[in-house]
Amino acid sequence: MITLKDKNILVTGASSGIGRQIAITASELGAKLTIIGRNIEKLDETLALLSGDGHKIQVVDLSDSANFTALISESLPYDGVVFNAGVVEYLPVKFLNESKINSVFATNFDSNVVLSQKLIKSKLLKKGGSLVFVSSISSKLGVPGTAMYTASKAALSAFSKVLASELASQGIRSNSVSPGIIKTAMTDKASDVVSDEELKKAESEYPLGYGEPSDVAGLIMYLLSDISKWMTGSDLIIDGGFTLK
Amino acid sequence: MEINTFLQNFADILDDTDAALIKQETVFRDLEEWDSLTALSLIAMADEEYSVKLTGDDIKSSTSLNDIFEIIKNKG
Repeated sequence: MITLKDKNILVTGASSGIGRQIAITASELGAKLTIIGRNIEKLDETLALLSGDGHKIQVVDLSDSANFTALISESLPYDGVVFNAGVVEYLPVKFLNESKINSVFATNFDSNVVLSQKLIKSKLLKKGGSLVFVSSISSKLGVPGTAMYTASKAALSAFSKVLASELASQGIRSNSVSPGIIKTAMTDKASDVVSDEELKKAESEYPLGYGEPSDVAGLIMYLLSDISKWMTGSDLIIDGGFTLK
Repeated sequence: MEINTFLQNFADILDDTDAALIKQETVFRDLEEWDSLTALSLIAMADEEYSVKLTGDDIKSSTSLNDIFEIIKNKG
């Protein structure tokens, strides 16, 4: 039986999509949440959906590490942190430029990495704690047009492994999850660049169809709970069978 | 915006297509080089050259390069 009773859990990118569902499911399992996002209204919506009480909201734009100071000073030690903040950008390599590279990496990689660094340095992670980085199945593939997104997610998975090694002596674990396509507002962004017809065709490549936020949240609950106490440095694929093909 | 510049910009995102084939009435989907990456390149080109957000459905609803040109013009 998975429980997160009385665990302090921090979730970034909790305004919507997978992050919101992670917060909801964790609260149902008894966790006290601190949820971070850029949009106060959307964070309030997430807060309203949480079970139990004692949850906190922090409106922080993680793309600028100057904004971390208040967050860190108001933080209690955490039992678990889910680094979920991320954006997607579809662009052929031919059209890349430095500012586009920087903007994707700033959110998907830098923000999550700098936050983890600050939490460690400020001793805000409890012994036996669990860190989870939300990567992507695309980090193992070569889907045209996803170079920056994919590279930033692959970097995150690689970072998590080194962190696992550095934190093992403190009993803190670090793992990443690599989901296939999950139906969220962010993946709906694909419909800006791909027609609905093509999206439907792409879904047929998934033996179990596209995933839902709760599918990823379930796996993350396992990683946050003490049931997974012997798992660290892993990158877990959850993709409805996509990579079987 | 001007159609000839647009056609030139479109020809520039292609690598193996004779620029002489790129005309207003060209059915871009019939070009041998057309694929999903070309579609992404067209979207990126519209953004870069005309600051217009072209969508997958805009492309799907278009037949000729002139249709694309008109959409960009209307959105610009």
